[in-house]
Amino acid sequence: MVKTMSATTVIKNKPSSILDLELKSEKSFTEKMVKPILFFSATFSIIIVFFQIFFFFQQASGAFAEVSLWDFITGTSWRPVEQQTYGAVPLIVGTFVTTLGAMIITVPIGILTAIYIAELAPRKLKKILKFIVELLSGIPSVVYGYFGLIVLTNWIRIIFDRPTGQSWLAGSIILSIMALPTVISVSVNALNAVPVEYKEAALGMGANRWEAISKVILPSAFSGITTAIILGTGRAIGETMAVLMVTGNTTIIPSPITNIFSPVRTITAALGIEIPETAIGGTHYTMLFALVIVLYVIIIVINSIAEFLSNKFNKKRDPKYLRKKKKKKPILSLQKSKIISRLNKKIFYSIFLHIFVFGLLLSWSNIWLALIGTIILFLIIKFYKRIPNKVQEKIAFGLIFSAVLMVFTTLIIVIGFVIIKGIPVISWKFLLSYPRDLGRDGGIFPAIVGSLYLVGGAVLFAVPLGIASGLYLAEYTKPNKFNRLIRMSIDNLNGTPSIVFGLFGFIVFCILTGWGKTLLAGQLTLALMILPTIIRTTEQSILSVPLDIREGSYALGANKWYTVKKIVIPSAIPGIITGTILGMGRAIGETAPIMFTAVVFNLRRLPNSPLSPVMALPYHLFLLSTTVPGGQENAYGTALVLFVLVLILYGMATLFQSKIEKHSEKHFILR
Amino acid sequence: MSIVKSKKISEIYTEKSGKYIKSQPIIGDSPFIIQSKELNLWYDETQALINVSLNIYKNKVTALIGPSGCGKSTLIRCFNRMNDVYDNVDITGEIFYSGLNILGKKIQVTKLRKKIGMIFQKPNPFPMTIYDNVAYGPRIQKINRKCNLDPIVEKSLKKAALWDEVKDRLDDSAISLSGGQQQRLCIARALAIEPDVLLMDEPTSSLDPIATAKIENLINELKKKYTVIIVTHNMQQATRISDYTGFMYLGELIEFDSTEQIFQKPKQDLTKRYIGGRFG
Ligand SMILES: Nc1ncnc2c1ncn2[C@@H]1O[C@H](COP(=O)(O)OP(=O)(O)O)[C@@H](O)[C@H]1O
Ligand SMILES: [Mg+2]
Repeated sequence: MVKTMSATTVIKNKPSSILDLELKSEKSFTEKMVKPILFFSATFSIIIVFFQIFFFFQQASGAFAEVSLWDFITGTSWRPVEQQTYGAVPLIVGTFVTTLGAMIITVPIGILTAIYIAELAPRKLKKILKFIVELLSGIPSVVYGYFGLIVLTNWIRIIFDRPTGQSWLAGSIILSIMALPTVISVSVNALNAVPVEYKEAALGMGANRWEAISKVILPSAFSGITTAIILGTGRAIGETMAVLMVTGNTTIIPSPITNIFSPVRTITAALGIEIPETAIGGTHYTMLFALVIVLYVIIIVINSIAEFLSNKFNKKRDPKYLRKKKKKKPILSLQKSKIISRLNKKIFYSIFLHIFVFGLLLSWSNIWLALIGTIILFLIIKFYKRIPNKVQEKIAFGLIFSAVLMVFTTLIIVIGFVIIKGIPVISWKFLLSYPRDLGRDGGIFPAIVGSLYLVGGAVLFAVPLGIASGLYLAEYTKPNKFNRLIRMSIDNLNGTPSIVFGLFGFIVFCILTGWGKTLLAGQLTLALMILPTIIRTTEQSILSVPLDIREGSYALGANKWYTVKKIVIPSAIPGIITGTILGMGRAIGETAPIMFTAVVFNLRRLPNSPLSPVMALPYHLFLLSTTVPGGQENAYGTALVLFVLVLILYGMATLFQSKIEKHSEKHFILR
Repeated sequence: MSIVKSKKISEIYTEKSGKYIKSQPIIGDSPFIIQSKELNLWYDETQALINVSLNIYKNKVTALIGPSGCGKSTLIRCFNRMNDVYDNVDITGEIFYSGLNILGKKIQVTKLRKKIGMIFQKPNPFPMTIYDNVAYGPRIQKINRKCNLDPIVEKSLKKAALWDEVKDRLDDSAISLSGGQQQRLCIARALAIEPDVLLMDEPTSSLDPIATAKIENLINELKKKYTVIIVTHNMQQATRISDYTGFMYLGELIEFDSTEQIFQKPKQDLTKRYIGGRFG
């Protein structure tokens, strides 16, 4: 068709063009200001990322005056105090091995549990499991660390008959629990996104449930699950407090490298332990910021891979893309090439797996045992296909159930520990009095109040900004480069380890301002940390407001802002509140962001201004359990109080969420 | 008639340097309220409307029929510029509303939509009370006082034949109404801002026969005061309620005539086959 017609007007219609037209003519000042204000709020995320990078480089700027970059990267000794050596290898190795160990545990358990939740669980159980996963992600890292320190390391010590249980293994186990929720929830989303027709087609062709899952659903969700694993890895790498409490923190490279009982120190732990002990601006200090940059680079690489994968994943689901793809390639040849590439991959992975297992066994035992083990593995893989389908299904389901059981048991053990040990300590006196004798005696009143202040203030700063950015992204922008930059920044902030926020807050709100540790600095730092959560949930809730009721509003002559104000925001509010509560749940348990910015150990008074320091529950727990001998009892009580606060917040969020779902279901049926 | 209207219509011109910008003089006694001329519309690269020229008679009911996907919705969404919400739309041609080209750049779409109301395929009440739904339009025009709103709400609900069913529960959520009631509420909501034209896109397609009959009766009432353009899948419905009918096929307006003519002696073979049900 010829697109231009003679003697006719050509009008390009764009949604923003309506808005522009109105703004030009009759709109009030506020309406004119809406877009710029929202735009500025959205830009804020970019600014923070920019400043983070800027300040870290600035703080690290003197780093390589005395120590060469080469020594930093390749040096195998990190003894800043005793020998002035700054070799980062032990720390990088520490981070690498603990994370690797964690992922070896988490990936199978997480994926199997995700399969159960997405494909097999009855509806009610699904909800319970989702809540459990949410709760696992909500338990503060100091609580995990505390559990690891008291229970897990003890078990390791006894079971493996070692002088101490504080080790790489303990760190990996704790990290695996902490990465689990990420892996599970992202995988569940990926599995749920597989079109039902695929499954129905497979089942219709006579496949049993496991065949449908393993041959159709899992391959279709492959990139989504990979994203889940990568995000989980990012989570594990960035974790500070829990690792710091259980890994023993010696800066050595495990010897042999597979010695899982060796103590290690991770990059994050080095930052958490050493920053408070250094002189600002000294060599040690600048070297630590060089480490921050290393950590930052690792995290950015990981986030980028995850983003790349999930973009690919979304593109695949985009109907436009599917249509185009179908046209271009005949289905048969596509399948052929896919099968070939899958075959190659399979061979590659299996060779890799054999070598890996062999190496691992070799380092733990002798060459014969290693050979036998590898051959057994080979036989299992070889003959797995020969096992009848029915039996395969049984084995697979057995594994799935045991994975679910393990997740469930883990939660019960951790929570049980916190509750059983904590309850005898709780009393009105404990809740309402001030600590005495370095917290061994007396209560935790100022820590409770301080935590509430910190979280309340964080919400006060983060919510308006988060809502404005989310609104901008959902309503006032189209896909373009700048918009992508905003999104990348938000994703980046979302994946940034909390200790990095802590250091950023420390530089900006404590050093630059000259205030030192203040409540305000802690609130602002926590606000930055929960900002991405609030932006995302706002954007999602706004996008989920159906187009037809917006059109109904436009059809009555409403303009964009009026529609947003009267229809869109009110419908999105429950979702936004849920996001906010989840953000609060996360903020209340965090130690790393407030450790350098806001909290002190012992206070006789409540903070009387935003510029005075505060006490906080997670930090109190951390110090009681690691540095105060005899602080055990009160540590139990503190852990319980912290846990209960988190539980209340997560419970509220879940209730809200189910209310929203119920409401929208009703909405749907009645239409 | 249209001279009387001309004052109201002039409101949709943007006032610029004290002059009304007009793309065409208002036609004297035209019986048409909406005219489209050589209208073409693309979604990205696919053309959804091809050279559609059509005249809509004032205070009559005009039905648009045709197989699904032929562009009926696209066409009526042009009349109140509803396609503006999509950013992949290109339009060429002209649409005159009482002689004024509403595709012109200077048109204030919000004011246009106050004159040309729309009812959608799926009832889309706002998630608020029945009262607030009807008062939504007047409130946009800054009518906020309860003493002014009450009569508007009552009148509109009466016109939409819903008043008796909801007068005791105006503060209930609109979502609690049945589908048919919701659709009449949407009609009341559109009437509350006193439009000239009502665009209805398959307004009964999601309703049961009883609710459908109520809406059809209502349309017969409404045509005394309003111009109604209704898209329908249902040919019996077109014969029951419309004065004029247009048949569309693959983006083109194949035939337009009085409903009687179209259904009894269609001129085009395609129309004949569609009406006879001999269609793929
Ligand atoms: N928003 C849109 N984007 C792209 N194509 C569209 C859009 N809306 C409708 N179409 C396409 O335009 C054609 C006409 O659609 P529509 O006007 O809805 O038909 P009808 O209402 O007669 O069933 C169809 O082929 C449809 O797929
Ligand atoms: Mg349609």
